[in-house]
Amino acid sequence: MLQFISHYNKQYDYLDSIRLALQGGCRWIQLRVKHASDDEVRPMALQALKMCRETGATFIIDDRVGLVQELQADGVHLGKNDMPIAEARKILGDDFIIGGTANTFEDVVAHYEASANYIGCGPFRFTTTKENLSPVLGLDGYRDIITKMKNHNIDIPVVAIGGITESDIPSVMQTGVSGIALSGEVLNAENPVEKMKKLLRIINNE
Amino acid sequence: MKVKINNKDVETSVSNLQALATEMNLPEQGVAIAIDNNMIPRAGWAEKQLHEGDNIVIIKAACGG
Repeated sequence: MLQFISHYNKQYDYLDSIRLALQGGCRWIQLRVKHASDDEVRPMALQALKMCRETGATFIIDDRVGLVQELQADGVHLGKNDMPIAEARKILGDDFIIGGTANTFEDVVAHYEASANYIGCGPFRFTTTKENLSPVLGLDGYRDIITKMKNHNIDIPVVAIGGITESDIPSVMQTGVSGIALSGEVLNAENPVEKMKKLLRIINNE
Repeated sequence: MKVKINNKDVETSVSNLQALATEMNLPEQGVAIAIDNNMIPRAGWAEKQLHEGDNIVIIKAACGG
């Protein structure tokens, strides 16, 4: 399972990045636009939602619970400094996916108890994409968290995130995580569509 | 047939993903499913055949199993 997190660089904007990811076969998109108002993000979110609906992709918006509800996106991803998961669940009800960012097993438990449906767990290694960085997990960090989750019967999927590159994917997947979230790795490739196809083949073990 | 759903062994008699979704009472909205790490759009559920040992990951709104 690969979640693509929207991103931009000199060549492509947020919507380009989502279009390229979908063209490459990715079917799980997170629109993440920091430092902008909902009004600024709405037109972009509408377009991204349309592209996801056309391809049958799951569409998650980072942080913006109100927009998720208004546009009927599939769900919201909540980082450590975003709205608490329990509060978002009260607003959204049971029909929306809520993902939460976790750095430790304790975070995972708290998110699970607050009704999170999946966990974005990281960072795998040091990355410049995210501000307010938590300690890196590495492979051992994931193994440890996945083992503890099994022992505690917490069965929501975990997506590894944070500085994961193509060559890391097999070893990260072997830790027992259900998927991987990527952004820069795809967009900064010479051919993002081909890169996405290749990453999906690796994740799917083909 | 035995499949894995979110890392748990599950016995099912259904043959395709749509039937599994129905069997599990999955809601119309807020569900994403991957088989062997491959996300399957809802439109493809009916024709997606299940096989022994499939590794199924279900992300669904509302908590619990």
